[in-house]
Amino acid sequence: MKITYITADGTETVVEAREGDSVMQVAIANDIDGIIGECGGSMMCATCHCYVDDAWAEKTGPQNDGESDLLDCAASETKPTSRLSCQIKMRPELDGLVVHLPETQL
Amino acid sequence: MSAETGTLAPVDEQITLKDLHVDPYPIYKRLRAEAPVLRVKAAGRTFLTKAADTKFVKDNPAIFSSNDPNTPMKPAFQAHTLMRKDGAEHLSERMAMAPALLPKTIQEVWQPLYRQYAAEYLDRLPRGEIVDLHKQLSAPIAARILAHILGIPEATDEEMIFWSQALIDGAGNFGWEPGPFAVSDHANLEMNALLGKAVERVRAVPDHSALSVMVNAENPIPMSQIVANIKIAIGGGINEPRDALSTIVFGLLTEPEQLEEVRRTGKWGQAFEEGVRWVAPIQASSRLVTEDVEIRGCHIPRGDTVMTIQASANHDEDLYDHPERYDVFRTRNPHQAFGSGPHHCAGTHVARRTVGAVMTEMLFERFPGMTLPDPSVVQWRGFGFRGPINLPVILN
Repeated sequence: MKITYITADGTETVVEAREGDSVMQVAIANDIDGIIGECGGSMMCATCHCYVDDAWAEKTGPQNDGESDLLDCAASETKPTSRLSCQIKMRPELDGLVVHLPETQL
Repeated sequence: MSAETGTLAPVDEQITLKDLHVDPYPIYKRLRAEAPVLRVKAAGRTFLTKAADTKFVKDNPAIFSSNDPNTPMKPAFQAHTLMRKDGAEHLSERMAMAPALLPKTIQEVWQPLYRQYAAEYLDRLPRGEIVDLHKQLSAPIAARILAHILGIPEATDEEMIFWSQALIDGAGNFGWEPGPFAVSDHANLEMNALLGKAVERVRAVPDHSALSVMVNAENPIPMSQIVANIKIAIGGGINEPRDALSTIVFGLLTEPEQLEEVRRTGKWGQAFEEGVRWVAPIQASSRLVTEDVEIRGCHIPRGDTVMTIQASANHDEDLYDHPERYDVFRTRNPHQAFGSGPHHCAGTHVARRTVGAVMTEMLFERFPGMTLPDPSVVQWRGFGFRGPINLPVILN
């Protein structure tokens, strides 16, 4: 399955993902600029913030418990579609997912 | 890296704690190349020196527990602290303090206050003569802002610095000598007395401080853990920003072309990140192995203690060219100076938004002609915690 990352300056990168991977892990494994994921997915650092594309927001679902508290820590502005990419796990219906990346994670 | 029947990691009997204290980087460079999983007898720990391995350990707390009962941390802090807990227990104690450390709070409350103190502390530095910036600025400014963030502004810089060092020395007292515990006991008495009064004050007049948020929470954690959390933050919140600042200033002063470029581009944040990568203020951490596991073909049995050497991870040739050089303009810098996993440094945002975003720029703006007449007199020390112990500059 595939994920498309679109950075704040509009650069699009399409990469291959496996079921069960988080959107953060896939970004790190593919050197996507704009996702840091410093705490490795423990919901401690808020450096993997992304905006789920409007067309996909329903499928990825709402923020998990504790996620919104951490999103308060995000360096860039948050929107209703804001998620921590470590909390979005890939599954078949997310094949083709598009996420937008914020200006900065620090 | 699953548990299989590999051979045990090789044992080293040559490396001494003193070698590591004085100059660990050449040793780590050799270990990364020759023995990235190594049982170091002097430390009684299995050293992991590759970035992938240190991250693997930190990101898998179920296998690599923080709950290591064999550390002197408990007597030093007179408490079983969140640093040495896992899972829900750790999380609830950590989250109790979190509101005081949120970027929003930092931006609105602590950063303006830090800016004000930074200006004041820069004002009192003498010009045109040798001044030890490490002792005159890095340490006291770290102490001052921390006292406010924690909710104990009545503590003096000297008290904060003494308590912090006493706690660190006690927690690092792996020889279990009575001396360091006597000092940390004394520090605990002083902190307890001050905290008793501070608790009453924040109960009466709540503020944004960590103490106030914990004390006034709807479902507060036990008072013993509130006190332990404050002590952990005192122990862990002064030396790190202090050492980070001194390291970055040293890096920039010894790389004048980079300093020029940082000034031109305003990349102070990057200068900060590179400083903590180059010489990580916290160099190593311990984790207790809860099930048999294999790393790089070495069998690591349950009950072993591994030491993740993030100092070494931050110099791993797999990730960095010329890692031994301070280089602000690296294309990528995925350092582990703030750790990873559930214990990822809770002070990260504060450090980035004070030392990183405010202090270095203010310092170089205030003293554009600052020089380090003799970089060779700067001494670097520390195995667990590391940084310069002096930074004699001339301000102009």
